[in-house]
Amino acid sequence: MVKITKKTKPEMLIPTASMSDIAFLLLLFFMVSTVFVRERGLRVTLPQAKKIEKIPRNHSATIYVTNSGMISIDDLEISIPDVQWVMQRKYMEDFNVIACFRTDKDANYGIMSDILNQLRKANTLRVSFEAKLKR
Amino acid sequence: MNLRRKRKSMGGIPTASMSDIAFLLLVFFLSTTKFDIKKGLGLVLPPFSDQQTQRVRIKEENLTKVLINREGQIQLRTYNSVEQIQINELEAKVRELVKGNPEMVISLQTDRQSKYQYMVMALDRLQSAGAEKISLSTN
Repeated sequence: MVKITKKTKPEMLIPTASMSDIAFLLLLFFMVSTVFVRERGLRVTLPQAKKIEKIPRNHSATIYVTNSGMISIDDLEISIPDVQWVMQRKYMEDFNVIACFRTDKDANYGIMSDILNQLRKANTLRVSFEAKLKR
Repeated sequence: MNLRRKRKSMGGIPTASMSDIAFLLLVFFLSTTKFDIKKGLGLVLPPFSDQQTQRVRIKEENLTKVLINREGQIQLRTYNSVEQIQINELEAKVRELVKGNPEMVISLQTDRQSKYQYMVMALDRLQSAGAEKISLSTN
């Protein structure tokens, strides 16, 4: 009888040694890019626009305006005349501050106009109207 | 003399569970990450002046008014014409005006009772049309 010797099968293994490297690489990426949300803000539906540009986050101060006319900066609900001193304080902290409006699309323009006037008084002249990209 | 060396036990950190730990952390950051990229329409406001008389005089032919009423209807007013237009026409009209006169100042006048959305839509169209001198005002 012929002796049939079994061939030794090559071991099939996925190399797992570099697995942790990959995981750590991804981990590092997410750690760096993570922003823990500091403010809760108000519930708003942003309007849509096409020609939008990025706003540098480290210079921005977000002003929330809801459709019922509620204004909030740094999770602090304020009235229109108070906008001036709040923004003045922000301006003293950072001269390049950009006032970012997160205004509900159905809000009255009158409130916005009043706030813009307050911003002019506070000397924070760079503003940005946040919007979603219109496709 | 029989000096037999003792076999040293290999000291090693077990690395098998390293990837587990890494993936655990990874999942945590994956779920908490929020790409908070802010995007919006930028604008620079004019400085505040107490005296109303201290106004910049603009020649009439260099000024175009875009009026928005509370219904969102748009009126385009130049020094020699007044016309009611649709929002879709605004970009082309303004582009033509700015092309013809680079000094053109566009004054966007929105009704106080008008929705913010209309103003943003118009501002977007104006900026798309290449208008650089835009002023915001209300009635």
